[in-house]
Amino acid sequence: MTWFKVLALVAAVTLGACGEADRQAERGPGGGEVNLYTARHYDSDLALYEQFTRETGIAINRIEGRADELIARMRSEGARSPADLFVAADVGALWRAQQAGLFQPVESLALAQLPESLREPAGHWHGFTRRARVVAYNPERVRPEEVDSYEKLASPRFRNRLCVRSSDSVYNLSLVGALIEAWGEQRAEQWARGIVANMARPPEGGDRDQIRATAAGICDVAITNSYYFIRMASGDDSSDRQLANRLRLAFPSLEGRGSHVNISGGGIAANAPNRANAIRLLEFFASREAQKHFARHNNEYPASPDVPPPPPVDEYAGFEAHPMPVAAFAARQPQAQAIMSRAGWR
Amino acid sequence: VALTTRAASAALSRPRLPTAPSLLQWLALAAGLLAALPLIGVILVALSGPGSEIPLRDLLRYAGTSAWLSLLVGIATATLGSLAAWLVVMHRFPGRGFFSWALALPLAAPAFALAYAYADLFDAAGDLRMWMRASLGFDWPFEMRTISGAAFVLSFAFYPYVYLAMRAAFLSQSVAALESARMLGCSQREAFFRAALPIARPALGAGVALAVMETLADYGAVQFLAVQTLTTGVVRAWTVFGSAAGAARIALPLLVAAFILLWLERRSRRGRSHDVARVQWRSIPVQSLRGAKAAAATLYCLALLTAGLLLPIAWLLANSIGRTPELARLAAAATHSLSLAAAGALVTTILAAALALGAARSPVASRIASLGYATPGAVMAIGLLAPAALVWHVSEGLSAFWVGIGLLIYAYAARLMAAALEPIDAGLSRVTPSMIWAGRTLGRSEAGAALAVQLPVARGALLTAALIVFVDILKELPATLILRPFNFDTLAVIANNYALDERLGQAGWPSLAIIALALGPVAWLSHRIAASRPGEAR
Repeated sequence: MTWFKVLALVAAVTLGACGEADRQAERGPGGGEVNLYTARHYDSDLALYEQFTRETGIAINRIEGRADELIARMRSEGARSPADLFVAADVGALWRAQQAGLFQPVESLALAQLPESLREPAGHWHGFTRRARVVAYNPERVRPEEVDSYEKLASPRFRNRLCVRSSDSVYNLSLVGALIEAWGEQRAEQWARGIVANMARPPEGGDRDQIRATAAGICDVAITNSYYFIRMASGDDSSDRQLANRLRLAFPSLEGRGSHVNISGGGIAANAPNRANAIRLLEFFASREAQKHFARHNNEYPASPDVPPPPPVDEYAGFEAHPMPVAAFAARQPQAQAIMSRAGWR
Repeated sequence: VALTTRAASAALSRPRLPTAPSLLQWLALAAGLLAALPLIGVILVALSGPGSEIPLRDLLRYAGTSAWLSLLVGIATATLGSLAAWLVVMHRFPGRGFFSWALALPLAAPAFALAYAYADLFDAAGDLRMWMRASLGFDWPFEMRTISGAAFVLSFAFYPYVYLAMRAAFLSQSVAALESARMLGCSQREAFFRAALPIARPALGAGVALAVMETLADYGAVQFLAVQTLTTGVVRAWTVFGSAAGAARIALPLLVAAFILLWLERRSRRGRSHDVARVQWRSIPVQSLRGAKAAAATLYCLALLTAGLLLPIAWLLANSIGRTPELARLAAAATHSLSLAAAGALVTTILAAALALGAARSPVASRIASLGYATPGAVMAIGLLAPAALVWHVSEGLSAFWVGIGLLIYAYAARLMAAALEPIDAGLSRVTPSMIWAGRTLGRSEAGAALAVQLPVARGALLTAALIVFVDILKELPATLILRPFNFDTLAVIANNYALDERLGQAGWPSLAIIALALGPVAWLSHRIAASRPGEAR
């Protein structure tokens, strides 16, 4: 049984050691703490957290996970949930958290600076970055005016020429939700059928894989979130840069009023034990400085139109965003899933 | 053999007290309940609300994909693993000594890392296929992001379960049976199919059961490869329709299927206890392979090792080498992974031992406790939240950090009980009833005899169980993702986060770190089994 003793000893010592380290991390330099549940897990956000702690003395404890797992966890934790701020990278998740009663409304002058269309009207959640659902295309085979509207993507001209990921993607669900909001269910379903007929291959992989497939000639047009393309075109992976440079980015319009945009945003937890700190952190994410940081390092668009996008995003920022309030299509994700499923969009 | 076994098991049941359950049985009951709690949670959640609006047609398609994938992986792992074990145990060929333990090493590589590697390596827009199309003028006809691609990846990730079980079985087989077969005119190949394989069937069943359960429960790989299995349905019900109840409902038929699988596997062993304690220990007649046959054997083993480990590692290295690893973060995550794995292995093995000893006469109980292993990770996450909610509500005033760690270790035990039970059951079956009786005659209680006789004899099996669980926890995702405390990332969590964000290159270092940590225990485990034939020189 000596092996067991060794194993037990190792476990005890290391658990003790990391417990110690953990408690040190939890202690801030005097400003208290804030507990962040976030579905964003970008390395560049870590620098932002550190900056917040430096400026305010408030330590950030975080759990990163998929949005819906975090929602389920908060529901299980109930009134004793330690969560202060919940952040998601898709408005649908924010809406579901709101439906589950996990948020409390807040009023804040700083948050009121964010565009109205990117906030929940009662203040349950606020969007602090934007991402556009757009099109990467092969300029040798596609003219820009062929991809200047979402409608045209479903036209027979692109039969077997389109790459798009599966209907499980929240970004696709939000896009179709917006189409339902604009066109009604019937026309949106027709569009989905057109997209399915145009697919060059059954949906596979993420947005980046659709861009790569377009560069490789498997398809001519790919539906993607803006930041994946910008990251490939200006990132540190040379083969990705090469592939992206064969393509162009187009910003299709919905009803001539601009491209579909989604948000990253957050809301204050209903039972937040550190409510004031949580509001401060959310205000910090919504600050001009943080918006620029998100744009520079994660290639999202600043939420506020008056925040000038830094490079490399600035090259792709001259598009018009559809004014539809994000709350309007957030609630339509289940409907969108049903439509896409009927249309055979895997 | 059958006669003695039956007589023995009758003898085993006699000393039981007719009235109150013994201490061991209470312990087993507690362990079984703990392991079954998340499953009860799943059932409760399933009954709690309306289902999701996923059309039946889609659900049937997911179920069909899951079944087909399990079948493919089951057949492939059975074939690959058994053949490798037979070659290594019964033949002499160049590299045999090395391969005999190295073939188990792919167990160290998480299936999701294999999926990243193969999907990227054989991506239509990847360097390899771009080059093939441009220079050779033809394309690779095999897509990784298909069901056959997923079966390929998972088979190479999981064949070591079959290999290890079959090698142990072949090593402990009776030479007499093989010699009888040869004397009755069988060729070496016929002796394999007509004597060795049937005798090793329980081991084959156990190995394949582990591989198939891992396939059903897989969380990272299949999703990454865009193969829509029942897990897809679960995640869709949960995330799109916001219905945990709907997600849990989808999982119910899967639980039933897993239970039937386990029951069948158990049943197939009944009355087939080819008691190894009675075989005659003589050296196995090893056949020397020459020429083309020897080369083929070496190549086969090399191909297995390459596909299961070397190629993915090479890809991970090639993609990571240009990036500076964040050493501080990786070191912290590695500490977390290691300590969780050590603590989880300890707790799971103790619980599994209690279960194996106390519930030896009620195999159904231990089968139920094993179900967590075959439950899709996403469903297990839903089920685990039920007991977790209880703990969160009564743990007022306790350190949230330690409550979180405790929950995680418990979750690992519930998920991985089967991985520990299989080897422990096998180990305990080596203890003959007369050995237990000797202990009881010398005045030990039932529990005392278990401690003094059964556990020491099965010591190796306990260690095997602990190491398998240890390696599994290093690679574990769903429970860790949903239950871990603040500021507590493991290597698998970091790798998964990068992959979700479509930053595969950065997932390289944490994936490599997992493999590096797991290689040692796996190699040791493999060596131990190689030296397990009693009377064989070490």
